[in-house]
Amino acid sequence: MSSQALTTPPSVAPPRPWRFPLAASTTTRTGTPVHVFDRPGQYVATVRVTVAMPLAVEPRELEGVATIMSRTMDEGTELKSANEFAAALERHGAAYGVDVSSDALHVEISVPTSQLAPAVKLLAEAVTRPAFTQADVGRHVTIRLGEINQERANAGYRAREAFAANLFDPSSRRSRPTAGTPATIRPLTNVQVADFYRKNIGPARAEILFAGDATGIDVAALIDDAFGEWTADTSPAMETPEPLYRTGDRLVLVDRPGSVQSQLLIGCPGPDRREDIWGAAAVANHVVGGTITSRVDTVLREEKGYTYGTRTSFTSPRKGGTFSLGGAVRTEVTGAAIGDALRILREARDGLTAREVQEAQDSLIRTAPLRYEQADSIAQQVGSNIAAGVPLDFADTYLAQIAATTAESATEAYRRYVGTNGLLVVVVGEAKEVRSQLAELGIDDITELS
Amino acid sequence: MPLNYPLAEQTLDNGLRVVVSSDRAVPIVSVNLWYDVGSRHEPPGLTGFAHLFEHLMFQGSRNVRSGQHFSFLESVGASLNASTFFDRTNYFESLPSGGLDLALWLEADRMGYLLDAVNQENLDNQRDVVKEEKRQSYDNRPYGDSYERLVRLLFPEGHPYAHMTIGSMADLDAADVEDVHAFFRKYYGPNNAVLTIVGDVSEEDAFDAVKRYFGHLPAIPAPPPAPDGTIGPLDGVYRDDVVEDVPSDLITMMFRLPVDGTQELDAAALALDVLAGGQSGRLNRRLVRDEEIAQSVSGGALPLIGGVSFGTLTGIASDGIELQQVEDALVEEVEKLAKDGITADELATAQAQAERDWLEQLATCGGRADEISHHALLFGDPNRINTRIDEIRAVTADQVQAAASKWIRAGSRAQVTYRRQTEATAADQPAGDAAGEQE
Repeated sequence: MSSQALTTPPSVAPPRPWRFPLAASTTTRTGTPVHVFDRPGQYVATVRVTVAMPLAVEPRELEGVATIMSRTMDEGTELKSANEFAAALERHGAAYGVDVSSDALHVEISVPTSQLAPAVKLLAEAVTRPAFTQADVGRHVTIRLGEINQERANAGYRAREAFAANLFDPSSRRSRPTAGTPATIRPLTNVQVADFYRKNIGPARAEILFAGDATGIDVAALIDDAFGEWTADTSPAMETPEPLYRTGDRLVLVDRPGSVQSQLLIGCPGPDRREDIWGAAAVANHVVGGTITSRVDTVLREEKGYTYGTRTSFTSPRKGGTFSLGGAVRTEVTGAAIGDALRILREARDGLTAREVQEAQDSLIRTAPLRYEQADSIAQQVGSNIAAGVPLDFADTYLAQIAATTAESATEAYRRYVGTNGLLVVVVGEAKEVRSQLAELGIDDITELS
Repeated sequence: MPLNYPLAEQTLDNGLRVVVSSDRAVPIVSVNLWYDVGSRHEPPGLTGFAHLFEHLMFQGSRNVRSGQHFSFLESVGASLNASTFFDRTNYFESLPSGGLDLALWLEADRMGYLLDAVNQENLDNQRDVVKEEKRQSYDNRPYGDSYERLVRLLFPEGHPYAHMTIGSMADLDAADVEDVHAFFRKYYGPNNAVLTIVGDVSEEDAFDAVKRYFGHLPAIPAPPPAPDGTIGPLDGVYRDDVVEDVPSDLITMMFRLPVDGTQELDAAALALDVLAGGQSGRLNRRLVRDEEIAQSVSGGALPLIGGVSFGTLTGIASDGIELQQVEDALVEEVEKLAKDGITADELATAQAQAERDWLEQLATCGGRADEISHHALLFGDPNRINTRIDEIRAVTADQVQAAASKWIRAGSRAQVTYRRQTEATAADQPAGDAAGEQE
């Protein structure tokens, strides 16, 4: 077949309709919901246990206890030492991971489906029969203290930490690091960790997800076999409290000597999934700063070459979202870059165009099948939905909200939050180089941290 | 487990190798191009060029204006990117299958006619962006220059793997538009690339579409081969001891390893996995769990095609522990493995972990397309994606020990350490780094 260069792009056929995969839902003998997402061709399955665990229940002086608990559940069980447990799990080709968020504990394995049964048994052993010896807890306290040193040296982490501390009221748990601070981690003992576990982790608070190729496997029975004797008694989880925000235009400069770039994080409160503008806000975000072609990077990266790239996002746990723009810019242009970013964020309140909104809708809707192609991404999304208290197939609701968005409703969703009650600007960089550049931004409330 | 992803191959008259793997289970298609140009091809003075093109390729071409590559693809639901490595550069997108023609048209326009759009203005702009990328990824993070330091120690000056893909900012600054054009004309053409399509399209339709958009592009003169980097294990211990404001003391050892595509490399990679893989690896058990001298350990092999590969072992010292203790323990474990070998259970664990990694890599159309391009371009055999697990499973404990005892030895290593500034080191530290000092 001969060919020649086409000077205009070829037409694109409309995408096939798509919806979030359906689950087959059952319960274990002791009542824990089990959701099975059968994904033919996904030979590595994820099994995820999501336990409702609002972080706000951590005692103030022991914050981080949930994280240490999560990290020591597999470090020795009633049946195996830490080394024996790891050897058994990894011998089956499994990888094990935990995550603590504002609202839930997630414990999961990914494993080739051929090794599913023994790996799920081990997952259940970690979740239901952890030993919490002082040696294992003490080691993880020490490791966490070292990790805090690493975090303090990381510009991105420092920015997120200062952002949370200054966006949320000090009375809100969200103003402080999920995994605790040296003062709250250092005194932790195995007694406190085990106590926190007993009060918060039980079958009545858990849901179990499977995503992967279930061909020829009775997944629900296999999970029941592993978790069916889990009878620990826990009271219902406390409802996550509404976070309190601080407002107003303000700037926090965190000195990080030796920095060759300034790490920026600019933002404000945002919606959560309870608001039906969640989808419209995502559309607005895509236009303003969600991609390399968005308004912010068109200027900061492509026109001015200030940055390798920035991104904005609306994110939210169960209650109380945030909007933020994050990225690193050259030290010498820090003030100019912040000025441009603030101008673009504020000008977007004047209106997003119909064309911008249409392109964002198309992109967000049509990328959905890609986002959930892999089994693990389904388990991640559904676990996050459970933690947020929305239906398992919330992705369909979200996509419907996006489809119904107009230029007006996207602008309205954006205006409801971004720049309405001020913007917080966090800069992590070489303070002595950056300080004088910040004066022209017109922000009166400036704090410096070291 | 045996895999049987379908594969069909054709080579166009202009030399473009095309591989198609049809999978109608998902409504998406992945397009993946590997160009046979990476940092190992860059001659002295032109380091960073392959990576610079990873940026320029998104700045427009004859029929595509700057920014349109992204905007056209994003609005049809694509996820897209590119990456540069020692051995190659790749460009890829996954999108709903109705957009296949658009993706191919965009890739063909920049393969054939990129230079219409490469001018002083976008060269200057993207050079600035690359400098910010280097600051972000290397300079503004603790230990960010460790690999730069290590490959300089591990390989002789001028060796194809002795510099990182980001290259030298001085080289980029010295480049003019004509240098950049000349580099493109040398390496970017249909006969120096593999194009893979995976997903919701029939083999016939996929080949027809490729011919429609790429068939008319002329072949380029055969590019010069990359310099041969064949070289044996390092002949001693080469150290670079850094004192700076790091959060914790850290050591990384780097070893030369056999070239990729050999059973000996698979065996060496498994040896590093037995040491540093997962929670049950020897180093985690001893240094982190039992002796508590390290906060974390990591490591693994980085397979390369140009005559030699390399692998690393890293330990971060626990607070209050002298880094020398971590170094001593790493040396002991390396030598113990070389001398005593590994157990059947350790081998089976490392193989099971490698199998899961491989299956995960192939779990998306995009991941599969990338591995197909990889194995077609570097080994001439895309079907290796179906046989990799069997190859790794075929390695024996004796082969692991033999590979380790030749390549992964305490006496054949490059090593970088980072120590926090203390009163003692402040007094001792001479001006400049002690890079390249031989023991």
